[in-house]
Amino acid sequence: MKRTIFCLLKLSLAAVFCGVIPVGAAPAKVDQLVSQKNAETKKPLKRAGQIDDLTFLRRATVDVIGRIPTSAEVARFQKWPAATRRAKLIDALLTDARFADRWTVFFSDLLRVRSNATGGNAFLAYLHKSLEANRPWDVMAREMLSANGSAGKVPAVGLILGEDVDSMAMAAATSQMFLGVRMQCAQCHNHPTDVWRQRQFYELATYFGKTRRVENQFSQRVYTTEGQETNVLWPPERRKPKVRNAVEPKFPFELEEFAETPSHIKRFEAKRTAEAKALAGGVKGQGLEDLLEGVDTTKAFNSETGFGKSVTEEAKAATAALDIEGDLYRQSKQRAELAQMVTSPRNRYFARNMANRMWAELIGRGFYEPVDDFQDLLTHHKALAYLADEFIASGYDLKALIRLIMTSETYSLAHLDPTMPLADRLAAEENFTAAITRRMVSEVLYDSIVAAGHLTEYKWPAGANRRTYTERVRVVDGPVEGGAPTPLPVASPGTLNMMAPRMGGGGYDLEGQIALNFDELLKNELQKDLAAMKMMSDAELAAQQQRQMMAQQNASGPRMRYKYVEVERTVDDNPRFGSTMRMATPAPPAHFLRVFGQPARDSLANIREHIPSMRQQLMMLNGKATHEAARVGPMEPMYQYLGGEKQNVREAIQLAYMEILTRQPSAAELTFAREVVGSGKPALAGMADLRWALLNSNEFRYIP
Amino acid sequence: MNGCLDYQMTRRSMLGLSSATMLGMPIAQMLARAGETQKAKAEHVILFWCSGGMSHIDTWDPKPGRPVAGEFSPINTSAEGVQISSIFPQLAKQMHHAALIRSIAGTNGAHGRASYQLQTSYNQSANLIHPGIGSIVAHEKDRLGDLPSFITISGNARRAGYLGQRCEAYYVGRPGEKDPYLAFPSDITQVRGNKRLDILAKMNLRNVRGLDAGKAKAVDTATREAVNLMRSPALKAFELKGEDPKTVARYGDTPFGRGALLARRLVETGVRFVQVNRGGFDTHNNNFPAMQNHGDVMDPALASLISDLAASGKLAKTLVLVLSEFGRTPRINTNAGRDHHARCFSCFVAGGGIRGGQVIGESDKDAMLPAERPVNPHDLHASLCHALGIDAAKEVKTPLGRPMRLINEGAKPVMELFG
Repeated sequence: MKRTIFCLLKLSLAAVFCGVIPVGAAPAKVDQLVSQKNAETKKPLKRAGQIDDLTFLRRATVDVIGRIPTSAEVARFQKWPAATRRAKLIDALLTDARFADRWTVFFSDLLRVRSNATGGNAFLAYLHKSLEANRPWDVMAREMLSANGSAGKVPAVGLILGEDVDSMAMAAATSQMFLGVRMQCAQCHNHPTDVWRQRQFYELATYFGKTRRVENQFSQRVYTTEGQETNVLWPPERRKPKVRNAVEPKFPFELEEFAETPSHIKRFEAKRTAEAKALAGGVKGQGLEDLLEGVDTTKAFNSETGFGKSVTEEAKAATAALDIEGDLYRQSKQRAELAQMVTSPRNRYFARNMANRMWAELIGRGFYEPVDDFQDLLTHHKALAYLADEFIASGYDLKALIRLIMTSETYSLAHLDPTMPLADRLAAEENFTAAITRRMVSEVLYDSIVAAGHLTEYKWPAGANRRTYTERVRVVDGPVEGGAPTPLPVASPGTLNMMAPRMGGGGYDLEGQIALNFDELLKNELQKDLAAMKMMSDAELAAQQQRQMMAQQNASGPRMRYKYVEVERTVDDNPRFGSTMRMATPAPPAHFLRVFGQPARDSLANIREHIPSMRQQLMMLNGKATHEAARVGPMEPMYQYLGGEKQNVREAIQLAYMEILTRQPSAAELTFAREVVGSGKPALAGMADLRWALLNSNEFRYIP
Repeated sequence: MNGCLDYQMTRRSMLGLSSATMLGMPIAQMLARAGETQKAKAEHVILFWCSGGMSHIDTWDPKPGRPVAGEFSPINTSAEGVQISSIFPQLAKQMHHAALIRSIAGTNGAHGRASYQLQTSYNQSANLIHPGIGSIVAHEKDRLGDLPSFITISGNARRAGYLGQRCEAYYVGRPGEKDPYLAFPSDITQVRGNKRLDILAKMNLRNVRGLDAGKAKAVDTATREAVNLMRSPALKAFELKGEDPKTVARYGDTPFGRGALLARRLVETGVRFVQVNRGGFDTHNNNFPAMQNHGDVMDPALASLISDLAASGKLAKTLVLVLSEFGRTPRINTNAGRDHHARCFSCFVAGGGIRGGQVIGESDKDAMLPAERPVNPHDLHASLCHALGIDAAKEVKTPLGRPMRLINEGAKPVMELFG
């Protein structure tokens, strides 16, 4: 058994090291299938050309690692031979450390990850680690669907804890997240527009019906385990039946039967068997199912040792003092079975769901839309089926799927002329013959501003930006005469500051980011107080203050009077910005990320929005990030062109365009930019104005 | 159109608009509702949201002489026969403008679920997020002037749910302090800022990479809106510096007092819904000093707000609510605190065309259960809609295409408020 576990860990890492990602004929095939279908349209579709190399660099970098390319990355790219540089770029991006950061955002949206849910941060770290190791999607899905155990300790249990261990919610989540089907309506009634019956929903829900959420009243630790009886009963309660009976589980989706195993499944099986053999050192006697089974249903995932110690062992150790019996975290056989069916290569929905979601993310539109609502009205049926089959054949390799889409001609299509009649443009976009204008997601936009403005490192010498601002704070104004003891803590200047960390003063809190350490989150969970990592809302902070106030009750002296005074503070405003992809997530409601569409993830229907708003513009036009990114600091490359006696305005402008828009300015743009820079006093201020406008331009935030 | 900041006709808003006709409504009912709209007097709402569960006995429903009474004695008010707790001496003089509902019969004793219900009219469900009442008002009422329709102060409001990002509240962190996002950064002069906007506009005219013109235009519209707001004289409403220091002092120079003062100024400038948040009502320990402190802070603010609105005549158009997710146990626990109590609690309502000086409903002798005229929490939302002329039964489609009533089915306005 031990060897099996070891193999599985390696199996998941194998994809990274062994170069198993299919390349070659595949991308051409998907283009061909799209074109083949388009040839049937009555009115010929307008077709855009292919984008140039620099545009490809920007598009691909933004998509895969979640920020625009740096000058160094542009230079590296341009040194590669023209014939192979795009393929080389994709290779480099897929192995970049930021790959996991950016795609954790994608999967956090999909799986409703919330740092402040029980086990939420550990779940977030689990996804990040899994993406880093390029663990197969089916393996991850099985873990999430079948895990039982302690919050944080078995991080994959975060999914079911996030759904409150509610069998109905899990049925809806399973179908929507993993299979791209909205069955939720069928929870309360037969689906009005679809084929799903309420009974089928109940049959799916009952797989989760025995799972229970338990909270240890002493340690406050939360875990899931299996009870004896399902809590899913038929008929539904709202019909007020006299008798309700336990529902037997039945998987509502049909698994395909084949007279002869199709080639993609043969390839899938061969691949998994070969990998298993290679890693097991040629040990025979273990079938594929043995290897896949039990991946996490009995094992706890640990960031260092992978699937090592059994949950039972850990549970014993953890609860020895409490003398709780060893089968504390009973595993669910039922859910393991369900997970096998959900992720079966014979279940069309599973591979198709991810292929379609990934296509939508990278191309701008799914073969079916919305991506969580499969309708059998596909236009490009064969193209999607092909992508899904290849995804299966690759062993559900997410990087392989991304590569497959990105190496297609469809991915590198240019935009059509924006003055073309809208109907032509829409028809082309719907049929994938022109690029769709996509906005960077909020995290990517923010990180791109930071990258463009050299804000990850100090760009000013210490003390160069001393700034004084005033702040209102509450201070003690003496005891109230004859008053009762006060419940208030003694406040000192700075109390308010502690309640809401500010970005160097001035109230720019809504752009702040505090990085989480994903490694730490998966270590020593017993000792770690995850609650401390939670991002707190103002209301929570107020409540916390109230609690602190209460705690100080007994030690309180005479009742105090308070007054508010304005104090001056001086700070060295030389900010460095981190990545928003390492924050507790989602950000608080009025935060930059949320204003730009990061979903609250508090319901399945909660999807990213990309609609422009006034509030977004206020944050871009007047925000701290854009302002600091625009200013030219002495310690950044731009300074050499404009900071000294001898000025090189042309090169400065070219650098600005390259750093911010990843392209050279046109002749007309150069002339215009010269005026802007020249009108600044000094020229560095003019350059700051130019950079501010470039950062705020539509071209910056929309992917080229 | 509605008051949410809307920049393009989305699938969602189209669904929302079409649903009214799609679902059809008997003519008589429509006429009846139209009549309601004409009678509506309120144009604005100020909601003081007291999170944590505000003790009803120590505020609006004192029980003198009972073991549950606690440390505060009731005081007489300007409304005949109406007594409130001694923590509100100034507000007592404004009670002829206000009504108290003392028989709210809640069902949720946990903070999360209860605050959800008290702000949305719905019970929390795994299936969708219901919009908070502020977002509903922003969705249903036209925006007046340059300021956003829905502003939340010193804390976050309930989310807009299926109404979408555009109906979310505009967030003001610290009332009276400068909101940095409403002006150019401090080291950018007006002249330079305007020059930047000019450069940006010219830059956006070139569309080198051929971006979708519709999307680019939506951003430009949003920019215009933003700049319009930055230049709007209405922004003065946010600045308390212009206020007479005596006025600021009268409201109590606290974040809450400034919040109340700011709320008044915003409403006067046309904002539809202002929510002022105050936390710290979860008084499981040492309830009485904490409530005294709440009173010290809230009393001058609420009293000044009501009297100022009354003096300017704006009170008749402004519904003022003081609301919490539940009340607290009549029984005083061993830590001199009170615990969660949802089955019977109270709220304060003033202005917006309601009849002041009255008490609606009655709790039993220990304020344990409603004794008379139980009011379901969702009836409060129906009442608010009634006051504003919003059709509480209107159906809006969620992003999943499910028709949802703005306010929970079965909610009925508390008509005594308006009698």
